[in-house]
Amino acid sequence: MLPQGDLPLRLVGGGAFFDFLGPQDEPWLRVLMGELARFEGRRRRELAERLAEPLPCETPYFKRRAATRVLLRLWRRERVAAVPPLEARARLFVAAAADGGEASPAAHVADVAAAMGVGGDALLESLFADLPGERIVRAPEPVPSVAEVVLRTNLAVVQAALMRASTIELQVEGGVRPIVRLAKLRGLLCVVAEPADGGAPRLQLSGPFSLFRHTLLYGRALAELVPHLAWCARFELRAACALRGRIVDVVVDSGAPIFPAAAPTPFDSKLEERFARDVGRLAPDWDLVREPEAVRAGRTLIFPDFLLRHRIHAERRVLVELAGFWTPDYLAAKLARLREADLPPFILCVDEERACALGEVPESLSIVPFRRRVDAAAVLRRAEELTLTARASRG
Amino acid sequence: MRLTFDRGTLLLEDAPPGVDVADFPGFLWDERVGALRAPARLAYALAAALRRRDVPLTDAPRPRLVPPSGIRPVTLRPYQHAALLAWRRAGRRGVVVLPTGAGKTRVALAALAATRTPCLVLVPTRALLTQWTRALGEIYDGPIGRFGDGERVLAPLTVATFAGAYRHMPVLGDRFGMLVVDEAHHFGTGAFDEALEMSIAPVRLGLTATPPAPGPVAARLATLVGPPVFELGVADLAGSYLAPLERITWRLALDEDERREYDALVAVYREAVRVFMGNHLGATWEEFLREAARTDEGRRGVAAWRRAARLLSFPRCKREALALLLARHREQRTLVFVAHNETAYAIAREHLIMPLTSDIGRDERQATLERFRTGELRALVSAQVLNEGVDVPEAEVGIVVAGRMGEREHVQRVGRLLRPAAGKRALLYELVVAQSGEVRQAERRGARLAAPGRSAA
Repeated sequence: MLPQGDLPLRLVGGGAFFDFLGPQDEPWLRVLMGELARFEGRRRRELAERLAEPLPCETPYFKRRAATRVLLRLWRRERVAAVPPLEARARLFVAAAADGGEASPAAHVADVAAAMGVGGDALLESLFADLPGERIVRAPEPVPSVAEVVLRTNLAVVQAALMRASTIELQVEGGVRPIVRLAKLRGLLCVVAEPADGGAPRLQLSGPFSLFRHTLLYGRALAELVPHLAWCARFELRAACALRGRIVDVVVDSGAPIFPAAAPTPFDSKLEERFARDVGRLAPDWDLVREPEAVRAGRTLIFPDFLLRHRIHAERRVLVELAGFWTPDYLAAKLARLREADLPPFILCVDEERACALGEVPESLSIVPFRRRVDAAAVLRRAEELTLTARASRG
Repeated sequence: MRLTFDRGTLLLEDAPPGVDVADFPGFLWDERVGALRAPARLAYALAAALRRRDVPLTDAPRPRLVPPSGIRPVTLRPYQHAALLAWRRAGRRGVVVLPTGAGKTRVALAALAATRTPCLVLVPTRALLTQWTRALGEIYDGPIGRFGDGERVLAPLTVATFAGAYRHMPVLGDRFGMLVVDEAHHFGTGAFDEALEMSIAPVRLGLTATPPAPGPVAARLATLVGPPVFELGVADLAGSYLAPLERITWRLALDEDERREYDALVAVYREAVRVFMGNHLGATWEEFLREAARTDEGRRGVAAWRRAARLLSFPRCKREALALLLARHREQRTLVFVAHNETAYAIAREHLIMPLTSDIGRDERQATLERFRTGELRALVSAQVLNEGVDVPEAEVGIVVAGRMGEREHVQRVGRLLRPAAGKRALLYELVVAQSGEVRQAERRGARLAAPGRSAA
């Protein structure tokens, strides 16, 4: 992670505003990458020394420091040694110490080199070739484009800022489940917070100790979420971060030019994939959002598989979940929990062939039974009914 | 009602109505889980406070590991014994301040033997992780746990690096009843403080040779570990329990060409600073660096400053002086201290002495220290690894070529030479370039070494 002293951001009032790299930075980034190319095949410490000095052109100070660190991480360090360095060190230094200074260092080098079957220069070249700073600089393959370096630097900057966060609040649409899964895996607490101003509910992620102070304990776990957010249909992340000696608000949203994590698998199963395809084909007026948002049901969180939303009348929304293996009791409890939660209309698609206990699928307007393949047309009909009913009852 | 450990904190569950949180400082209402929560370090104090108020407590955190048995007693020197007594009288919480080489580890081992509770020892470096494992092995035959340097082994006596403890305290926090914090001056600044907050251990002993000056950092350290309970300085013990120290500051003149180059570089740098400061009164060094990147003059100034510092760290005069000193002390165990790893490698290539840097892996580092102990290697060169804690009692001669971290680094470096041995006289050479900032730095370092500790004053 980048140190906070290297972050291109401005603190204005109580907020921190990222000075993201963009196309305007490409000229000096090319010069910077040219410097790396010049040091191809030389020792990494020589490159690091060179990059610690200013570039021959005007550069924005913080952006350059951030980009330099990102590039140094991307460039490989190769070990080039004629003899195993560890063995060379052990033999040479012990031999020199044992002699007590009778022979010259050159004589010791020659002796050990001959014993190891190489020349003196090759021995000295190999002596520290395995150590990080002494390794040889090699460009990654393929060499990243300048545009990619821009996105990677921006991601590193956002992550470094969030490393200094204690709690984050997220408003996410689509792809929320992997975010919560990752957060829980990292030992974070996830709760849905209802804003006092009545706005959309937000997912609040923090650690147990965040209650007492602005701790940086959970920063790494929080920062890890950022590249995954790039795959959400829409997100807004808010965090209070300790930056340059102050606690400031940081906001990152869907428009941020950051490098995304590896693409998540679009669907958990063929069943989901076919359902999404069928809905897209049958109902151009309805949008299907996968893993739309976490919703609170009592003290637990529910992650519906899909949200069906009318393209024109956005208030017509139905949450859809595809149930795998089930028992009648499980379905009844689930329906009860969903009703308690004061959610938008909800459709539970139940595979009749996957019953794990004797009993019928409970009769309910919210349940659409299916066999092997979800009947998208039936789901859409039910969505029409439920959303029109809901609208009528509101009206 | 239950007081339970939850990932470095305490949760008060099933609180009966009428329990007023205001009576129990430390608890906060946690909306996220619908319970009262407090930092784990308050476990014993809160449980006692609840019991005093007759609040029924069915469960409270206790160290979950079985106490180690069979720890052998430790013999102490008089001042070590006094330090241990002072710590016990302070309620088994506090920091013992002793110079390097005075045997802080033995004080901790004696405290541990007397306390007989599962103990976690926190250390700043991987080298110290191994060193403490060995020290514990001398008084205890059971397995020693290790957290850090890629290992995660738990045992009633466990050693963890600060970073390892910080990362794993949510699961380690309710295992131990005692914490020993080596080089405790690293705490109190906020960096790893939560590692100490997330442990329920009521018994805490801090060890350091360089305590923080009175102020917010010292106050925070007192909250986390305890106040200083005993303090002696190098001047109090040198010649009796520490090897007598002879300091020789060798002022060296740069060669003519290097002096010319150095002066020219400094002039370029000073001019850039002068121009900048003329326009930005009271600006900081950081601001200078930022602005310098925007102008040719500034960029040249920064580059010149870097090169001047590098030139000063290992010019020809130091190179020659070092060669003379190494030849002169060929038969003695010698430590060479430099500012940068690459200087260490350059010296290693030129004089064929083994470097001990942060780049060197654990196994090789241990093998190197072992060879130094047995005399198979007679000299080591290091930038920072030997700065703190590493035990090299055989070292008799130190040569400070350059440093980066100031007076505290110097005190620690000198400490490497002070372990007493029969007839031993520690000899420290400081190579200083005349007519440079190094002269004043050397004077300040000398003053710090001569200062006595508070317990002796």
